[in-house]
Amino acid sequence: MTPRGHGSTVIELPNDRDVLIAREFKAPIALVFDVLTKPEHVSKWFAGPGEEMKECSIDLRVGGSYRFVFVTEDGIEMSFRGIYLEVAPPTRTVETWLFEGRPDGEAIESQDLHEARGVTTLTVKLAFSDAAGRPTRFEGMEASFDRIDDVVRSLLDPSGTVSGK
Amino acid sequence: MARSSTTSDVFNAVGEAHRREILDTLIAGEKAVGAIVNDVSMSQPQVSKHLRVLSEVGLVRCRAEGRRRLYRLEPARLRPMHVWLAKYEQAWNDRLDRMDDYLKELQRQGEPQ
Repeated sequence: MTPRGHGSTVIELPNDRDVLIAREFKAPIALVFDVLTKPEHVSKWFAGPGEEMKECSIDLRVGGSYRFVFVTEDGIEMSFRGIYLEVAPPTRTVETWLFEGRPDGEAIESQDLHEARGVTTLTVKLAFSDAAGRPTRFEGMEASFDRIDDVVRSLLDPSGTVSGK
Repeated sequence: MARSSTTSDVFNAVGEAHRREILDTLIAGEKAVGAIVNDVSMSQPQVSKHLRVLSEVGLVRCRAEGRRRLYRLEPARLRPMHVWLAKYEQAWNDRLDRMDDYLKELQRQGEPQ
């Protein structure tokens, strides 16, 4: 599926636990890294139209924490938080990632940047599993999309070829 | 821990590898329990247990043909997941579009006047 918008975001669900998101930016790597990791920048793009950023704190060092909170048009508060595990400007950060609305769905997020010919590629990997390695609600959802989603899409698409009916 | 029960939630019902295996085999069409057992790496009691969960959330439907019970997939019940994935993709794309716009703006501002 190609999402609407002007971008080129590629999302993959390679296995049971991981979500991979890749996107290219026509900007130097150092600037992209700053825009990803400095609160004065993140607060400018994290929330969407009609949403209001309420908190954007980033303590960019190993062991430092971050928290992003925005309020949707419907007044619903969405909050994300985590702790930095690796900080390697301008190419990589690794942090815990938790959507506070689903506290049993903690992930390890890695953000990697690579620049070639003036284009910087951002790759975000979200690896879902909790600290005790227990299965979480999120775990498996990704896999089920991966394995069944094409079929689901074709079955739900009235213009698609539906077999056996 | 507060979470909805497996038997009322399509997401939870599908969030289990063995049940996904059963759904995968039913994509090919309606099958009897014995045929499902042949397709997957589980015993008949396990398959029956998972089929019960999948039936309760409406992901599979069962009908009797003589003494056999035949199961088929109810793909429409997967729509919540389909919608979720589409929203998830859209949210990421929108966010990274905004980051892209912001980067362009910064670079325009940074150019010599």
